[in-house]
Amino acid sequence: MAGSPTALIRKTKAKLGGGPPRYSAAGLVRRGLSGDPWPRVWRDVDLKSSYDVVIIGGGVHGLATAYYLATNHGITNVAVLDKAYLGSGGSGRNTAIVRSNYLTPEGVAFYDRSLSLYNTMSTDLNLNVMFSERGHMTLAHTDGALRTMNWRAEVNKLQGINSSVITPAEVKKLAPSLDVGTDSRYPILGALYHPPGGTIRHDAVVWGYARGADHRGVEMHQKTEVLDILCEGGEGPDGKGAGGRVTGVRTSRGDISAPIVVNCTAGWASLISDMAGVKLPIHTRPLQAAVTEPVKVFLPTVVVSGSLHVYVSQTDRGELVFGASVDPFNNYNVGGSLEFTEELAGHVLELMPGISKMRLLRQWAGLCDMTPDYSPVMGTTPVDGFYVDVGWGTYGFKAGPVSGEAMAEAIATRQTPKIIAPFGLSRFASGALVGEKGAAAVGH
Amino acid sequence: MELRLPGRTSTTGVRRLDTERPGEVIDRSTSVPFTFNGKRFTGHEGDTIASALMGNGIRIVSRSMKYHRPRGYLTGDFWDPNGALQVGDEPNVRSGHRKLTAGMSVSSQNVWPSLDHDVKAANGLVSRFLTAGFYYKTFMKPASLWPYYEKVLATFAPGGTVDLDTPHGEFDKRYAHPDVLIAGGGPAGMAAAIAAADAGASVLLVEQEHQLGGHLRFGSDADRAAAGTLRDEVGRRPGIEVLTDSTVTGRYEDNWCSIVQRSHPTVSERLIKARAKTLVVAPGLIERPYVFAGNDKPGVMTSGAVRRMINLYGVQPGDRAVVFTANADGDAAADDLEAIGVPVHRVDARAGEGIVEATGPASGLTGVVLTDGTTVDADLLVTAIGWTAPTSLLNMAGDRPVYDANAARFFGSVQIDNVLTTGGIAGDGTVEELIQHGEATGRLAAARAASIAHALRSATVWATETTTDAPAFPADDRTALERHAHPELYRASTHGIVDYSEDVGSKDLVAAAKEGYDSIELLKRYTTATMGPAQGKLETVNTAAVLAEARGETIADVGTTVWRPPFVPITLGALGGRIFEPTRVSSIQPWHEARGATPILAGQWIRPEHYGDPAAEVRNTRTNVGIIDVTPLGKLDLRGPDVPALLEQMYTNKWRKLPVGGVRYGLMCAEDGVVLDDGVTGRLADDHYLMTTTSSGAGTIWEWAEMWLQTEHPEWQVHVTPVTTGYTSINVAGPRSRELVARLCDDVDLSNEAFGYMQVRRGTIAGVPDCIMWRIGFTGELSFELHVPSGHGLHVWERLMADGADLGIQPFGLEAQRIMRLEKGHFIVGQDTDGLSKAPTTGLENLIKLDKPDFAGKPELAWALEPEQAQILPRIVAIQPDDPTIVPEEACQILAGETNEILGRITSSRMSPTLGRSICLGQVVPSLALPGTKITILLVDGRRVAGTVQEHHAHYDPEGERARV
Ligand SMILES: Cc1cc2nc3c(=O)[nH]c(=O)nc-3n(C[C@H](O)[C@H](O)[C@H](O)COP(=O)(O)OP(=O)(O)OC[C@H]3O[C@@H](n4cnc5c(N)ncnc54)[C@H](O)[C@@H]3O)c2cc1C
Repeated sequence: MAGSPTALIRKTKAKLGGGPPRYSAAGLVRRGLSGDPWPRVWRDVDLKSSYDVVIIGGGVHGLATAYYLATNHGITNVAVLDKAYLGSGGSGRNTAIVRSNYLTPEGVAFYDRSLSLYNTMSTDLNLNVMFSERGHMTLAHTDGALRTMNWRAEVNKLQGINSSVITPAEVKKLAPSLDVGTDSRYPILGALYHPPGGTIRHDAVVWGYARGADHRGVEMHQKTEVLDILCEGGEGPDGKGAGGRVTGVRTSRGDISAPIVVNCTAGWASLISDMAGVKLPIHTRPLQAAVTEPVKVFLPTVVVSGSLHVYVSQTDRGELVFGASVDPFNNYNVGGSLEFTEELAGHVLELMPGISKMRLLRQWAGLCDMTPDYSPVMGTTPVDGFYVDVGWGTYGFKAGPVSGEAMAEAIATRQTPKIIAPFGLSRFASGALVGEKGAAAVGH
Repeated sequence: MELRLPGRTSTTGVRRLDTERPGEVIDRSTSVPFTFNGKRFTGHEGDTIASALMGNGIRIVSRSMKYHRPRGYLTGDFWDPNGALQVGDEPNVRSGHRKLTAGMSVSSQNVWPSLDHDVKAANGLVSRFLTAGFYYKTFMKPASLWPYYEKVLATFAPGGTVDLDTPHGEFDKRYAHPDVLIAGGGPAGMAAAIAAADAGASVLLVEQEHQLGGHLRFGSDADRAAAGTLRDEVGRRPGIEVLTDSTVTGRYEDNWCSIVQRSHPTVSERLIKARAKTLVVAPGLIERPYVFAGNDKPGVMTSGAVRRMINLYGVQPGDRAVVFTANADGDAAADDLEAIGVPVHRVDARAGEGIVEATGPASGLTGVVLTDGTTVDADLLVTAIGWTAPTSLLNMAGDRPVYDANAARFFGSVQIDNVLTTGGIAGDGTVEELIQHGEATGRLAAARAASIAHALRSATVWATETTTDAPAFPADDRTALERHAHPELYRASTHGIVDYSEDVGSKDLVAAAKEGYDSIELLKRYTTATMGPAQGKLETVNTAAVLAEARGETIADVGTTVWRPPFVPITLGALGGRIFEPTRVSSIQPWHEARGATPILAGQWIRPEHYGDPAAEVRNTRTNVGIIDVTPLGKLDLRGPDVPALLEQMYTNKWRKLPVGGVRYGLMCAEDGVVLDDGVTGRLADDHYLMTTTSSGAGTIWEWAEMWLQTEHPEWQVHVTPVTTGYTSINVAGPRSRELVARLCDDVDLSNEAFGYMQVRRGTIAGVPDCIMWRIGFTGELSFELHVPSGHGLHVWERLMADGADLGIQPFGLEAQRIMRLEKGHFIVGQDTDGLSKAPTTGLENLIKLDKPDFAGKPELAWALEPEQAQILPRIVAIQPDDPTIVPEEACQILAGETNEILGRITSSRMSPTLGRSICLGQVVPSLALPGTKITILLVDGRRVAGTVQEHHAHYDPEGERARV
């Protein structure tokens, strides 16, 4: 291998204190009185021809990686490239549910770390990401589903995660709008209740990481599309593929050289990896969501029903946010379908018969990068210097913080951190999959 | 800042006119009582809630979201951002659109404690600190207080209140297949409908308002006359179906369109799903509000609002008016005002005149400052500064509208074969010109529909026409409408509200853009502008204009956000429709119920769980004979010479040599090698097979079979007929089952020699011919599974019960069957396997035949069978707790000794009545799978107990002798 790419990276002491003014109530008052504008949330700088690290994808994963590279490792000569605007992918389209009551020990340890980073994020990033720890409830409508809930509760208990199976009466107490009657078509037999789960303001997380990274010197380049990945020495055409190394990227605004390129493009991940000659076991499928007009707040927790393929939460603005399961076939169309809204509404009314007069205001879709075992693909690839942080499917928003932290460490230290070791690309060659699919019917 | 406001019944000139207007749609002879915020009022038939309120002198109807500022009607129609009111148990009713009905209880939504005295108006005092997105910058410390802050923020949620006891109501749906679907019943839309119908097309004409006519309804005498003529012509044509008070809400792939019909006589809202051959988009234009200081004070209205109020509802909107006009509609509004005696001060944008701000208290404007510095006394300020093209449906069809600075609005830019536009969205013109364009569009739409219909008829397997005489696809030969020049007017020299529903002002937008949220999408997300109930129809272009100004760019550079469906919000009730998720029962269900069986919902089926004592049912079946209703078992009738090929493809094992009369068990895997389903298939005749699937897999496996036949191997000759409910299925199990079946069947030799285990026969049972019986069963006992034409199911069941009385027959339910299958060690797909269980996990490696040319999952399974994989893939094993009285709960974890390392889990467990001890199946890592291995099970109560891995999956009769006798 032609020298370690990290050897080329300059480390700077993250300059703290000198950065932009901090957000605070006092600041709001001061600027309200003086009329002084707030400075830019991130700078508008010219694109350079070379960086130590190029991150493709300005979603939560790319931005968190950039933030932790700068914050934890002093690596700041970093560019985040996005073909549209920051948060234009899944990170600005998701339903922002965070939880850690996963099924496998690997999954639990990983998501629990993310949750703890979310817990302190508002103060860490000095931007209110409105983490709402409102509790997360997964309903069981069949004895089979209840069995899966018990399974998850047992695994969670062993990991010290607050997650347990509750009775229909307890369900009703937590969410009075739910119909827990026994004669409904999909009776609620119980639920897996996870008090630390909740929702977060997804855009704020994106902006917070971008601002924090920018503050430490990382550059944000929007409307900059990566068209190709430049490689040398690989076994495939143009030096791509196994055994080679990455040298940079070709973008819609010119070529950039970089010894390290990180693929954080979620729904587009297989297309980007293909540019380096790396095949990923990923299918891209749209996931649809919708929101209602606002009404006064009545639903205090997140409610998920796997059997009915629907989940719902109510924002502080009063809108109900709905999601479902991924579309049943591969494609890149984010137009949304009528059938989705019909099925969704039918199923939601099954759960909450009283809301038939609420109106669906808007529907949308985002792309999800699905892996065979519903776990991500993280770390190195057969192309030296080309890293992936992909395979986030329908559940990757909540993983943003821990992924960024671990990816930054992987890049800076050239060692795969233990917490992401189970998620390496090589597991698809060895067969040691991480079985989150077992319980991830609606895996948010 | 005023916190107290004058009484709602204002002293301004808002009131019902004494004299009738020529085009008014209200019936003055009627009196319709209603309440508003608890007070009684009356309106007339034909009134909207808005016109009734204004007719009663009410100028303030709501409060704004953030600053709780008093608000009156701005556009007075469906889009009015201030007009969302609570009506009874229905939140967010568009009062500018909703017809008044007797007894309505109407109230303001966003007020506390009341519309007149709103405490939160105090927020206005600190508005300069509460700029858009302020909440991102505060409430961070102390973190422990955030949940409290969050609760407070949530009280600012706009919108009405849901009554959780609202009954679901009736919301049936309808399908339609019009040749031409027209969205919008103005002059162009109506003309298009007439021309399309005359060309032979079936037309569905959908109009959002309560009458056809569009803007002509509140226009001049000539306008109304033209509308009347068109309306009559439409009415005369049976080929046109008209839906008023209805909206085309979406256009999806292949012109699959959604329509919400609010005018149905018995259903409050109905979803119509239309597969339109061509869609004509003719929604007219939406008048855009103007941005200036004070633009949200009650008394500021658009010209369209004023004309509707005067001409349709006979309502005078004010006493002294300033009309700021840049176009003929503004001029007409001024004329209308003068016609009803309201003095008007005209400010003509075309002559370089302009307005600066609306002055007066929050409760309503009292004056208007003009650009020449003068202030004009007024209680009404009318703006007519241009339009927004509602291009939503075009966007959904793939168009990317482009801004035309000369006309000051967006136009579609992409030609779409089956989507055409006409009317204001396509250009400008006189009524005559609009009608002509509409007609040309209607003709083109009809011709294209005919061509598309022909292609559909000739290109399918049912083709009745050949493609040779296909009509050429008609080119677009219409003369385009002109685009008239219009001044670009978005914001005055002052700042004002841009998004009324979200309380976002132009100052907020500029500040956010300067802060870096400087693309239209980021700006929208950060400030929430355009996110409210009108979804940007009033706000988007103004937002783009303010951003463009802040960035020193053009509106074309900035663009708009993507318009997303639906065009107008739809109730969940209408979308969900009548809840149609039926449950299924077998033909024997009445008997089960009469016997007091405890029902269980299993997937779609309601079936007996047990008849009182499942353990007794097990013991009786093992010693005498029992019968169980297994109708939910999936059944597919397969016919044709290529059935073996299909079976070889779907199952992992081999099928070509299955003789007639034979039955075989097989495993099905998905492409990833994960177990999908299992079951038996029998060969009834040379080209005739019956496949059974698990109950829950019935639908999936049918689709899976069709997938192979339709997309992978269309050359295979196989017919698949799902017959799950065509047969009632009864399993007769137990040592005395042969004796019992023999009593009812005399045309089949039931002896073990003639009809052995895993064989199928056809015969007559209890006088019912053509029954299928096979010797298989889940219980492990000698059994006969009978598939009886379902009309005779109950008869056969009752005969079995009667004739078996002396043999000790008892029915048994699902629970007894589950116990017996566990005693026999049969795994259940989805319970003992999960989404990652590849076939070798089940221990059935011998059923995976890699020497077959192909089958679903073969490459993955080839890999899964490699030796290293044996070290990785978990195994299903039978487990017995060492203490026979302990039944570990299903889902209990299997741990490495005293540690918390997970090595497996219990997937099934029961107390076995036959063995008198607890028995389990579980999944464990390969290192624990050897017989005799000691394992540690963590019970739900926290105790760790020991268990032992068994040699066979079967806890009982491992050799399977009982079934083979
Ligand atoms: C409707 C929906 C609901 C969801 N709900 C949840 C949930 O409740 N909880 C949860 O945890 N997760 C949820 N998810 C999943 C979650 O949104 C994603 O897993 C997560 O946002 C992925 O983040 P990311 O940063 O990896 O990718 P993204 O946010 O998708 O970012 C990828 C970026 O790459 C950019 N890009 C692509 N190609 C190129 C190129 N060639 N050049 C430059 N840039 C490029 C894109 O523009 C995009 O901005 C949901 C997803 C959807 C669609």
